Amino acid sequence: MRDRDMEDQLVLYGKKFASRLLLGTARYESPHQLTDAISAADPAMLTVSLRRQVSGSKDSGQSFWSLLQKTQRTILPNTAGCLSAHEAVRTACIARELFQTNLIKLEVIGDDQNLQPDPFGLVEAATKLIKLGFQVLPYCTEDWVLCRRLMDAGCEVLMPWAAPIGTGQGPRNAPALRELRQRAPHIPLIIDAGIGLPSHACQVMEWGFDGVLLNTAVSRAFDPVRMAGAFAQAVRAGRSAFLGGPMTVQEMAVSSTPEIGRPFASDCSSQLPPAA
Amino acid sequence: MFVILNGATIHLAEPQTLAALLVLIAPPPPFAVAHNEEIVPRGTYEARLISPGDRVEIVHPTAGG
Repeated sequence: MRDRDMEDQLVLYGKKFASRLLLGTARYESPHQLTDAISAADPAMLTVSLRRQVSGSKDSGQSFWSLLQKTQRTILPNTAGCLSAHEAVRTACIARELFQTNLIKLEVIGDDQNLQPDPFGLVEAATKLIKLGFQVLPYCTEDWVLCRRLMDAGCEVLMPWAAPIGTGQGPRNAPALRELRQRAPHIPLIIDAGIGLPSHACQVMEWGFDGVLLNTAVSRAFDPVRMAGAFAQAVRAGRSAFLGGPMTVQEMAVSSTPEIGRPFASDCSSQLPPAA
Repeated sequence: MFVILNGATIHLAEPQTLAALLVLIAPPPPFAVAHNEEIVPRGTYEARLISPGDRVEIVHPTAGG
């Protein structure tokens, strides 16, 4: 890794990460495919979930957990599917016991059609969890007041959606996302959900977002391993472009090649007879 | 007595500790346990008594986004 990349690290709750990509572990065709996708994406964190033990099952998450441990990545448990602050807090607490981490990707779903976060439940749950010592990464919308409330509650990272979970639509509300970046310049902002293409990831990174969390865009691609690598490159390219400082957009054309010294250019050229 | 284990009603001989219940059903590790919605830390299963009608949740890691 180059020195410049080492200097530009993602810092989440005091921990530094060289990668700015967070990867979900769901919907892969096989454990082998998941392992290869993790290698290709080189993610900072892997998101995981928890479910009830299935009666009679011989392998209730053992092989999956073994696979994750071998990757040596930071584990980020989620509260996926929780429909209330109470349920999310309980789920976060048992996730902490299971995974032995204070990190939690907080999801409180408010609508079963678009899986939109419930802003009221989200703030309530985040407030309680931070008091319990959790390091909360809330899955939220780009709504500025919601984000401000979450920061007031003590969240040191925000994860606004680009579009509803699993849709792959890319950023649906670009002006609001960019405004959020401008109004909250110091808190890490990770785009979570709705990314479908590496170009979407590159775009939001160019806008100055700090990272991208992906799952379906990789796992449901025709070739998830190849797509994982493409996303890794896109995130790096977008980050480099942001740090590089894009040019200012101009209304009119501006020649990039010097005008002075152009051969065959003279005032006489306009006096040539028209072509037959 | 009857208790609710992961949403299903099961019959247990009385009295029971959580540790005894876990020996009985032998969940493969890793797992975590909640008793009446309270998280039970590892190492405290023996001290936790189960009463009729109690709810026990045993969870394990799974894939997530």
